[in-house]
Amino acid sequence: MSSNLKFLVVDDFSTMRRIVKNLLQELGYSDITEADDGNTALPLLKGGAFDILITDWNMPGMPGLDLLKAVRADERLAKLPVLMLTAEAKREQIIEAAQAGVSGYVIKPFTAVTLKEKLDKILASRAAA
Amino acid sequence: MALLGAIDSGDASAFRCAFDSLCTEMDSGLLPELKRITAKAQSALARFSAEARLDALAGHEVPDARKRLTHVVKLTDEAAHRTLDLVELCGPLVDEASRGAAQLLDSRNLPQWPSRAEEFLDRTRRDADKLRAYLSELLMAQGYQDITGQIIRSVISLVDELERVLGKLVQIAEGIEVTSLVRSLPTPTNWEKGLGPQVAGIANGDAVAGQDDIDALLSQMAAGK
Repeated sequence: MSSNLKFLVVDDFSTMRRIVKNLLQELGYSDITEADDGNTALPLLKGGAFDILITDWNMPGMPGLDLLKAVRADERLAKLPVLMLTAEAKREQIIEAAQAGVSGYVIKPFTAVTLKEKLDKILASRAAA
Repeated sequence: MALLGAIDSGDASAFRCAFDSLCTEMDSGLLPELKRITAKAQSALARFSAEARLDALAGHEVPDARKRLTHVVKLTDEAAHRTLDLVELCGPLVDEASRGAAQLLDSRNLPQWPSRAEEFLDRTRRDADKLRAYLSELLMAQGYQDITGQIIRSVISLVDELERVLGKLVQIAEGIEVTSLVRSLPTPTNWEKGLGPQVAGIANGDAVAGQDDIDALLSQMAAGK
């Protein structure tokens, strides 16, 4: 496991950011930056060499779907793995996220096992690409 | 009559005078009446819009908000109990490690010390693994705050909108001119910004049942590419 990967965790609830950060640390990842919505996340992504973006959907300011679209529209960020971690459960939303190029979709409330599974899958695809 | 007389006599000055007089009469009578009718129509439209919105709020969204808040109570209750359960599970493990260490220190001059130390270390390692697992569960149990926070925010938006609608109705009743209402709450068809967590008993369009459904949907989409 390469533990030097750089994560950006985006969620408007600081409790959820702390939960994800702790889980990532348990998995051996220590380079974790936080942002509270798409508007604060996007400049961070453009300015730093992040390896994975984990984002919520429903956030004030720029929601996660718009952040995903902005990432895919940016030439330098287009291939960044994006994991959506959200309570949004409508089928149309999941289809839209998939069409916008999401790499994984985890529904809240989630388990540590599910998060690990999806991360492993994303990292395996990333390594194969 | 004065206007017709001026035309018949070809008196341009009298015509201008009669025409100006007619315009003044229209300004003072017809136009204010037209303005009054337009304002009345606008007010009726605003009233209709406010009343229709109030009807929807009272008929569906307030009862839904009650279900949402009941769900919040259930989630917070479950999370608090799960947290307390885990604390109760962690406590004896820590107590046992402390007691075992004290006993081991007391027996350090006994010949059985090496075997007792090995037994203690073995048990403590197993208990530490259990403790780690309980701490991870404690961490996950705090996820309720995100879910309940989103639900409570949606209820706050509802209260805000209710306040606005009632405010407009009061203004209309007092004869104050108002603009029509703009709906601010998200609807199942307006999901780009997010609808928030699913709540049992509240229709929110075609939702998935859980992570397995999402995985199946994404696999289907990937296979269809």
